[in-house]
Amino acid sequence: MAMTAIETGFDLTLTEEQELARKTAHDFAAEKVLPRAAEIDEQAKIPRELIAEMGALGFMGAYVPEQYGGAGLDVLSYTLIVEEINRACASTGVALCSHVSLAVDPILHHGSDEQKARYLPALASGERIGCFALSEPASGSDAAAMRTGATRQGDSWILNGTKNFITNGSIADVAIVFAQTDPTERHKGIAAFIVETKTPGFSVGKLEKKLGIRGSDTAQLVFQDCRVPAANLLGEVGEGLRIALSTLDGGRISIAAQAVGIARACLEDSLAYAKQREAFGKRIADFQAIQWMLADMATEIDAARLLTWRAAAAKDAGEDHILAAAEAKLFASDVAVRAARDCVQIFGGYGYLKDFPAERHYRDAKITEIYEGTSEIMKLVIAEEILKE
Amino acid sequence: MKILIPLKQVPDSTVRVSVAADGKSIKTEGVTWSISPYDEYAIEMALERKDADASTVVAVVTVGPARSRDALRQALAMGCDEASLVVAEETAAPLAVARALAKVVEEAKPDLVLCGKQASDDDQGFIGPALAEVLGWAHVATITKIVPADGAAELWREVEGGHEVWKAKLPALATVHKSEKEPRYPSLPGIMKAKKKEIPERAFASLNVDSSAPALEIVAMEPPPARGAGKILKDGDAKQTAQQLATLLRDEAKVL
Repeated sequence: MAMTAIETGFDLTLTEEQELARKTAHDFAAEKVLPRAAEIDEQAKIPRELIAEMGALGFMGAYVPEQYGGAGLDVLSYTLIVEEINRACASTGVALCSHVSLAVDPILHHGSDEQKARYLPALASGERIGCFALSEPASGSDAAAMRTGATRQGDSWILNGTKNFITNGSIADVAIVFAQTDPTERHKGIAAFIVETKTPGFSVGKLEKKLGIRGSDTAQLVFQDCRVPAANLLGEVGEGLRIALSTLDGGRISIAAQAVGIARACLEDSLAYAKQREAFGKRIADFQAIQWMLADMATEIDAARLLTWRAAAAKDAGEDHILAAAEAKLFASDVAVRAARDCVQIFGGYGYLKDFPAERHYRDAKITEIYEGTSEIMKLVIAEEILKE
Repeated sequence: MKILIPLKQVPDSTVRVSVAADGKSIKTEGVTWSISPYDEYAIEMALERKDADASTVVAVVTVGPARSRDALRQALAMGCDEASLVVAEETAAPLAVARALAKVVEEAKPDLVLCGKQASDDDQGFIGPALAEVLGWAHVATITKIVPADGAAELWREVEGGHEVWKAKLPALATVHKSEKEPRYPSLPGIMKAKKKEIPERAFASLNVDSSAPALEIVAMEPPPARGAGKILKDGDAKQTAQQLATLLRDEAKVL
């Protein structure tokens, strides 16, 4: 006889508030985001009011505690929201992911009480937007090789250098910036700073033109004698790399959820098309070749979602989630890319046209295997975790 | 002002309903349930009053199966202040439901009761007028706006080519056609506030209402016939095509 979840201790049922959060995000995504997704991609711009609406609904501070102006939900609820928004539009989705996981999260976990009180409320409400500036022209995966420098001068730090590939870079009000305070110390010299983008010496360089997630802005950030108050040092000097890596561990959960969202868009659009398109006198959904693709997509999406939820639950429980997050991101991004490939194939010639969503999914999916740690870096992380004593 | 909204949980409008094996009901397995859309308009209308005047209290109640609690929780998450559940069989007679709601209204003493003009599952439009009748209250149907007016309320209705404004002394009951804005989504902070609220529950029988009522029985349910293929008129010039179209609309579709 089947045992209940309570008897086995294994329960994947969402709580009432997780279900409500999912429903709000689902309805909002379907009614407000999906109808604009093609336009956001085409115009390479997310309407600011869409971000404001996500802020008003509490998405931009989903798991920030109420005392700092957040909604006070858990990370799992946040991954549900991320999946729903990305199911509608991966550009809007990554703007949300970068803001919450990469800018809000490090302040929440590494900020002083004063920094949290000063920055979190406006970020959690979406009134201000955050970004995360780690990568540089010559250092991506090898973050410790960064060249952006920070020199102490009285009560300030003077930042000089260039950051690359910064999601939300041109729209952000607050940037989490990593800089080297002493190149001879390598990673022990790295520090993290909360930089307000209106600070003199901060400027936005060129905006990248991309294959996918075209609505999300990817900017170069330039620091020229940018004076940051010493009070804006996040954590201690020397903790910068640790802050960056632990932030990315959490960020990977949101990118895994993004990949699940993109893969779900592929499956749902494929199902709708396959049931309606006819060839040789029957629906293409009645051909086994199509059914196998759909069945693989459905199975892999469920598996990817379970890995994502497991990683989110570990983060909620305050447990080490390095391995779980890397596995979820590695697997889910692979699933998204495969689902997008099959989605285009099921749509056939129409899959290659801008008039249908399949080609957008195909272009959007690929980035999930690259940013916030490439698949190759994910395998290094996983191998290191499973090989350590 | 206190506003009470009796709401009903119905299959979500995105659910493709199918007839159950008994041929008299719909399949409920796997159905997503939601607040009936006109009830959502009623909630939005009440919450717009609350936005304008923070002293407004908005309460919701439902008479229905235990799963209806989710709909009440959603209403709280949208911003309603109070919710209560009367657990009843789905087969309870509509008039008995109206009598049960009347008991709730007598206890809660709202100034205004807003009902969706009809539930989207059976489209009967019965509960609003029946509840007003049981209470002996004024009833205005299918309103689109409320304007409070010193012990009374102006109730706006859309009519052909314009609108009518009715004035009702409070307490009164109105059924809602549409709110000024689209119903709001429950925000995440709203969801967390709603989590902390109790939803008191009681059994239908505990209200001791007269359950004698005209018995309604659904004899059969069937889906509408499948839609046939469309017809494209391609031959001939515009005049001939128009003639063909008029003939087909009259003789085949029988709409002219």
